[in-house]
Amino acid sequence: MTEHLKIKVCGLRDKDNLKELMELPLDYMGFIYYSKSARFVGDDFDADILKSIPSDIRKVGVFVNESVEKILLLAEKYRLDVIQLHGDETPNVCKTIKDSGLEVFKAFQLNESFQFEQLESYHKKCDYFLFDTKSESYGGSGKKFNWQILEKYKGETAFFLSGGIGIDDVEAVKEFQHPKLIGVDVNSGFEESPAVKKVGLVKEFVKSVREKKMSDNKYAVNDRGYYGQFGGAYIPELMRANVDELRENYLKILSSEQFQKDYARLLDNYVGRPTPLTKVENLSKRFGTNIYLKREDLNHTGAHKINNTIGQILLAKHLGKKRIIAETGAGQHGVATATVCALFGLECVVHMGALDVERQAPNVARMQMLGATVIPATSGNQTLKDATNEAIRDWIANPHSFYLIGSVVGPHPYPDMVSRLQSIISEEIKEQLVKEQDKQNPDCVIACVGGGSNAAGAFYHFLDEKEVNLVAVEASGMGVDSGETAATITIGDVGFIHGSKTLLMQDDDGQIIEPYSISAGLDYPGVGPLHAHLAESGRAQFLSVTDQEALDAAMVLAKTEGIIPALESAHALAALEKMKFTKDDVVVLNLSGRGDKDMETYMNNL
Amino acid sequence: MNRIDQLFQNKGKDILSIYFPAGYPNLEDTIPTLQLLQDKGVDLVEIGIPFSDPLADGPVIQLAAKQALDNGMSLKKLFSQLKDARKTITMPLILMGYWNVVFKYGVDAFLADCQACGIDGVILPDLPLEEYEEEYKAKFEAHGVYHVLLVTPETTDERMVKIEKAAKGFLYMVSTSATTGGAVEQSKEREDYFKKVASLDIPSLIGFGIRDKQSFQHASSFSDGAIIGTAFIKALEKGNAAEFIDALL
Repeated sequence: MTEHLKIKVCGLRDKDNLKELMELPLDYMGFIYYSKSARFVGDDFDADILKSIPSDIRKVGVFVNESVEKILLLAEKYRLDVIQLHGDETPNVCKTIKDSGLEVFKAFQLNESFQFEQLESYHKKCDYFLFDTKSESYGGSGKKFNWQILEKYKGETAFFLSGGIGIDDVEAVKEFQHPKLIGVDVNSGFEESPAVKKVGLVKEFVKSVREKKMSDNKYAVNDRGYYGQFGGAYIPELMRANVDELRENYLKILSSEQFQKDYARLLDNYVGRPTPLTKVENLSKRFGTNIYLKREDLNHTGAHKINNTIGQILLAKHLGKKRIIAETGAGQHGVATATVCALFGLECVVHMGALDVERQAPNVARMQMLGATVIPATSGNQTLKDATNEAIRDWIANPHSFYLIGSVVGPHPYPDMVSRLQSIISEEIKEQLVKEQDKQNPDCVIACVGGGSNAAGAFYHFLDEKEVNLVAVEASGMGVDSGETAATITIGDVGFIHGSKTLLMQDDDGQIIEPYSISAGLDYPGVGPLHAHLAESGRAQFLSVTDQEALDAAMVLAKTEGIIPALESAHALAALEKMKFTKDDVVVLNLSGRGDKDMETYMNNL
Repeated sequence: MNRIDQLFQNKGKDILSIYFPAGYPNLEDTIPTLQLLQDKGVDLVEIGIPFSDPLADGPVIQLAAKQALDNGMSLKKLFSQLKDARKTITMPLILMGYWNVVFKYGVDAFLADCQACGIDGVILPDLPLEEYEEEYKAKFEAHGVYHVLLVTPETTDERMVKIEKAAKGFLYMVSTSATTGGAVEQSKEREDYFKKVASLDIPSLIGFGIRDKQSFQHASSFSDGAIIGTAFIKALEKGNAAEFIDALL
């Protein structure tokens, strides 16, 4: 969930130079406390100089084989945030310093014969690695190493690239792809003289590295909340303060160390992630290709929805909120919200269309058992759209509550926030495919789309990988032209729903049309703005599947693979019938949820 | 001069604004209701454009809007009803509705029709100030249609400054954090908020939760007047709209 490539400028000490550099949007400034370095700050370095550095630039002290005692002493004196250990420090030394509350970078010097196994004992004992060029002394060679070596690095700790990086390397940095790359460390490549940096050159570097990073990701939301022409925050002034509070804080919180730790821990130990990537042999044979199911059905509470509720509940906690509002269609998001509220002891109010309350009685009972209050929405068609309206009205009336949206819909920042929280799905697919197929990118990713959260999560890390064919599957109900459909992309046009500019089903007067699908989770007249953009730009292919096709596909999976899918996911499965594959294709289908909640529908229709 | 400015200049206090949805309770009621309100001495009227998903409205207005839609009301139909309204109606008129309906109608066509029917301003609660200023302001101004803005108790001081600068005609001061038709409790905090908005350089009307003579007078003591919607719709429903206004003034 890195925002941008972090940039660390190292080897500083000159006061005037520092003043100019601290105006730049840097992430780290490094100071070398190693007397043999040409950039040694000196024994009488003035601690006051460091005080004027803005707090969003973290101060790094670089040490080589120094005693822990002295490091901690200097860290206190100079108010250092980070200790970079650049010598032969052991994992225990790293841990001791980390346990004292400081961030720790451990540097390693790489060449072709570097043994990556030695890094294993350092994971979790330091925050990041820093990979530098092997030299006779401890760093500072001013030379680059062959970055391709890093293909062998499969560890969990993120790293900085270091060693001789200069302005001419902007392109190379941009080209270099590694799932664990977090930032770059620059030093002598930008110097006038030792410890004095060329400020203009650093500025240009920061700008061009980040610019490219941003524009590279063509499908990311822009800073005003738009995906192409879609998105934004079309909300009444009554919600403005709430939405602004969230927009101003969500990225900061999501990228904070505390959040990342809590989120990862809960996903591992509570949700049961990573979910398996199951090669389904019988289905593969049937379609003459290689089909993998990403098993979101195996998550706690039975669907992908909990990836998002875990994240948002942590956010709500950071913002000091005590009452949680949610909307739900089929009840999966309601259950996932009630679950995390129970876990964190927060009040939970779930708005659910009165019709859905009837259709999905078992989920209503689950929410109530988990301590949530379920309020039936009696306006409109009494389904998801109306539940969402009621949830928004509740938020307007209770501005100090937190609105926990279940899909990639709503005003900015919700679509982006929920996409990020669901992006764990594609992150895992990449890692798992490497083990299975020795490749990170499948040929095709298929997911169903109502609002679009499971599809957003399954597509997220492939959006910029042009060779990956993204397929989104909508519910066409009784057929796209039947008037009983939820195929928004196919029959909708540009409009505004629930605070977002997107594609939606509406009549000639701009009144929103009530959708229909057998699947309560796809029964929504709009679609997330990201998907509207993917459709408009042609980046994703949109197919639609009828009630009957979905029911048939569910039966096939149950009978041939022993997996009963949710009706929503059955739509994605049915799309396989409409596509052509070769025998070498690798197809990943996101099985967003399990079918327990749909048993009544299945029994009535099969 | 825009009729809204004229009203605030000439009267300037105890201004009574009434909201009702077009085509309610019957499709052809829009003009007769306008006439009644003018005859009874109402200063300003906000005509609601019915929408299927009125986010900021409580149950009474939601149901009234649904009734109007079921009656066959649409923006097109509304403009055809308003075509000759200015022959008899002289008070300022405002259209209030949600952005999707206007966008679908076409912003240029909408503004041209507003101008042709003598509409003085519009309230579009879900068209954000930023998008308005960037994309639509010039068009609104070219047609002489005011974009009336809302402030709420949650609006920050910083944003209030921005809104004050951009506002035209008057500020719609939402009394409380609620959808329309809720109750307003009186408190020191609430009064401080009213006073803060009233001290701005633009007139303001208090809306949301104003229901009778007492709450109207209370609101008017802090601002230039107030807006009544839900309570008036209930009176329309019961067929005693005239008596309701008589009791207010």
